Amino acid sequence: MKTLILRFVNAPLLVLMVIVGCAVQTALFNSYPLMYLQPDLVLICVIWCALQRSFLEGGVLVLIFSNIAEIHSTSPQGLFMAAYMAVYLIVRSLSRLLVLGRLATWIQLVLFSSVLWKLLALAFVGFMGLAGNQWRHSLTLLLPGAVMEGVTAIWIFRMLYRFDRATYKHPRIQSLFDPSEEEAL
Amino acid sequence: MLRYIKEYRFYILLFFFVLIPITSIDLSTREPRQYRFYDRWVLALSTPIQSLLTGVLEGIMGGVHRYLFVLHTQEENIQVHDENRKLLNTILNLREAESENTRLRQLLSFKEEYELFTVSARVIAKDVSTEFRALRINRGSNAGVQKDMAVVSVEGVVGRVLRTTADTADVLTVLDLLSSVDILSKRSRVRGIIEGKTDETCQLKFALRTDDLQENDLLLSSGLGGVFPKGVPVGSVSKVTRRKYGITQSVEVRPSVDFSRLEEVLVVTGSKPSPIHVTREGKSPLPKAAAP
Repeated sequence: MKTLILRFVNAPLLVLMVIVGCAVQTALFNSYPLMYLQPDLVLICVIWCALQRSFLEGGVLVLIFSNIAEIHSTSPQGLFMAAYMAVYLIVRSLSRLLVLGRLATWIQLVLFSSVLWKLLALAFVGFMGLAGNQWRHSLTLLLPGAVMEGVTAIWIFRMLYRFDRATYKHPRIQSLFDPSEEEAL
Repeated sequence: MLRYIKEYRFYILLFFFVLIPITSIDLSTREPRQYRFYDRWVLALSTPIQSLLTGVLEGIMGGVHRYLFVLHTQEENIQVHDENRKLLNTILNLREAESENTRLRQLLSFKEEYELFTVSARVIAKDVSTEFRALRINRGSNAGVQKDMAVVSVEGVVGRVLRTTADTADVLTVLDLLSSVDILSKRSRVRGIIEGKTDETCQLKFALRTDDLQENDLLLSSGLGGVFPKGVPVGSVSKVTRRKYGITQSVEVRPSVDFSRLEEVLVVTGSKPSPIHVTREGKSPLPKAAAP
């Protein structure tokens, strides 16, 4: 019974964690020069859902996450939803094609997703006729943003793995984040 | 039927996952969305965390600055006793209070200079993404802040209120892609529209090639559109590029507000009626603008 309840609260708690994460991210990286090093916690959670959740559950969670991100931003309506969903579907497709057996591979996937997300957001903004000279700013922050994303993802993935294990949501790649292997990493 | 749904479940879900984001994009207005009822629950969770973290961070940074100052003082005054150190701390605290007092007094004089009814607010968070440049302030509809009210600081125009909750408001800064402010050059009275470009610069649009614009020209809000009061500094021209052809020129603008150090802002809730607006009966024809 306890197992069932914990498994049931996994998704709501994950949503709650994303809300808290968004609040921390927006308050912590508020000032100069930290503002340029802001990681996208929502994107990391989207990747986690793409790799560790069923298609339906992951997709619904991504829609909720993108809504939360939109509340904390002035992005045009639907832009985040489209960009995050595109990343979710692409990462999910890649996970079927590639062997993601090491944490390093996951981090590479995060770096790729970060760059992809920014380019997608830029493309959507351009499609809406709002891009102007935004591409220059986006390209400048493309790689620093991806590096920050990759660094943050190491801790976030480990935390999410522990959270999933505590709520009996058996992760697909259990050996990757086992404590014995964590020390080796 | 159920068998078919089960068989094609993946494709049905894929269809909806692609359809929902596409239909949610509002191509007609391209505006950020307004708060829905469930958004307020999310904000009720995240706003206290943002306020708390901002407060803690400010405290820590203040402490570090104070500590560095004390270290510096120690080098110069190695003989100072504990009691003196305590007194120094008190003086530092008083200086902090004094500088805050000065900032607030500047805000007050700004408010009086432009004859505005305002609500002061503190910046508690910034945009979740690096592509957009919004700010969140700790005053909302309970304090009289409403959508499309102008937000200014001592240095000039900050932006306009995009949406509000009871205790917070999101501000679309002049640096944001979606922002546009009608301006007037102080020197040559040339008009144009300023739009956001990067984290530090804006661009002046619709400036004709023949328009007299030079570097360091001060640009003021024109008052058109009814959002920003007339004559408030928006920025200054930092770069002018005239090509050999074309009808417009490329003008880069540096905002007058330093957004990286912005702590307090004023939300303009109304303006005092100017004598030109007063009718014979002594009533202003613009009651909305006349009272907060």
